[in-house]
Amino acid sequence: MWKQIWIKEIRAGLYTWKNMVWLLIASILFSFTSYLLLTDKELSLLDQTELMWMLGQVIAGVGLLVVILDASLIITSEFEMETAESLFLAPIRLSEIILGKLLASLTLWLLVFIVAVPYIFVASAGTRLLMPYLIYMFFLGTLGIAGFIMLVFAVSLLFRSSKNTLSTSLVILLMLAVPALFSSTLKNNSAAAFLSKINPVDNIFGSLDNVLVDFQLSFIQNWKFILPLACFVILMFGFMFLSMRIFRKKGVLFQSV
Amino acid sequence: MIKRAFIIGSCAIMAFALFGIFNAKAQTAAPQIKIEILSPSQLNGTAGDFVTVQAQITNLGTEPVSNITTYLSLVDNETKMPVDLEDWSVERGLFIGTIDAGQVLPLNWKVHFVKAGNYSLIIIGVVEGQDKPEVSTLTYFDVAPKHNLNPGMVLPVALGEPIVLLVIMLLVISRRKTDE
Repeated sequence: MWKQIWIKEIRAGLYTWKNMVWLLIASILFSFTSYLLLTDKELSLLDQTELMWMLGQVIAGVGLLVVILDASLIITSEFEMETAESLFLAPIRLSEIILGKLLASLTLWLLVFIVAVPYIFVASAGTRLLMPYLIYMFFLGTLGIAGFIMLVFAVSLLFRSSKNTLSTSLVILLMLAVPALFSSTLKNNSAAAFLSKINPVDNIFGSLDNVLVDFQLSFIQNWKFILPLACFVILMFGFMFLSMRIFRKKGVLFQSV
Repeated sequence: MIKRAFIIGSCAIMAFALFGIFNAKAQTAAPQIKIEILSPSQLNGTAGDFVTVQAQITNLGTEPVSNITTYLSLVDNETKMPVDLEDWSVERGLFIGTIDAGQVLPLNWKVHFVKAGNYSLIIIGVVEGQDKPEVSTLTYFDVAPKHNLNPGMVLPVALGEPIVLLVIMLLVISRRKTDE
């Protein structure tokens, strides 16, 4: 049944302006960034791998933002459009509904990534880093975004309101993304260094830096970034699982305050 | 008179004694190692290039020396400020457990020219327990900028992709309206 929900969500997303506009905005942002990075006199003084890394940060950031915005509405809209009763009371397991919607949100990330591929090609022209760039961008993005989708779904099931879910999710994203943009000098203090190690956004950026700037291409050389990211996904899965249990306990008709 | 001569004599003896102590301390702190950069004193390249800085460490003493930490120090000659080596070199320091008397060990650093500019590099060696580090001679980096990496290819993609997406979007929406 999850397949039907997945396909339904993709169709609903792609046949409306909503997701297509997001992809267009993502594309304009990538165009602006890559053009500026590759042609601007000041910025083009940077090493090419640094430019690739900066573009990677933009791709990951835009992907996170677009998918979080979409995921914030994918469950809560069922409550606000009053389709929740028919959906959640239908003989479909809650886990299947969630899986279908999770895959739909991940598909949106896949589409953002596909939109970003030509820019990755252009930015990495002349280097041997195209394949590692594509692989790590997709892998790290998928891992991080999957964790964030689970977080958003957990919040959605607890709040059942798009406004609250959206604002909470964006605040969490902001809380994690802003310190990730700090320079390494600001992370020298032990508390900042610890936060940086467990911050999923920081780990995505850090691993990309490790691959593109420091040429540490193997997974073993990146385990210190991938492991915390994987832990974040597992933790968020646990949080989502807990929210699902609370949701089942309270019932579909329960109105959150 | 005798008393004065006695005081002056005592002071002179004390001064000699103190000089002897300090001199002895200075002798123990004297470096037993020598660090030399074998690469040319001027290395040129373009931002993004890699160079290998080849150096060697020699134990000039008659006894083995243990626990030596060697590291790079890079200074931007324009800003007169040290450079954070984070992206310049994966290995910022090399630790040597023990170097035997008269032994020569190679020290090689792969350095990545990250940013254009003029830099000066030294290698510093610190022996555990010694106050004075051993410093190599200077090597200069002249890193040329890499302008306009990809101006030819970026414009068609930067302009073309949003247009293609817009066309696809309009086609999908119009198809949806036809279906309805």
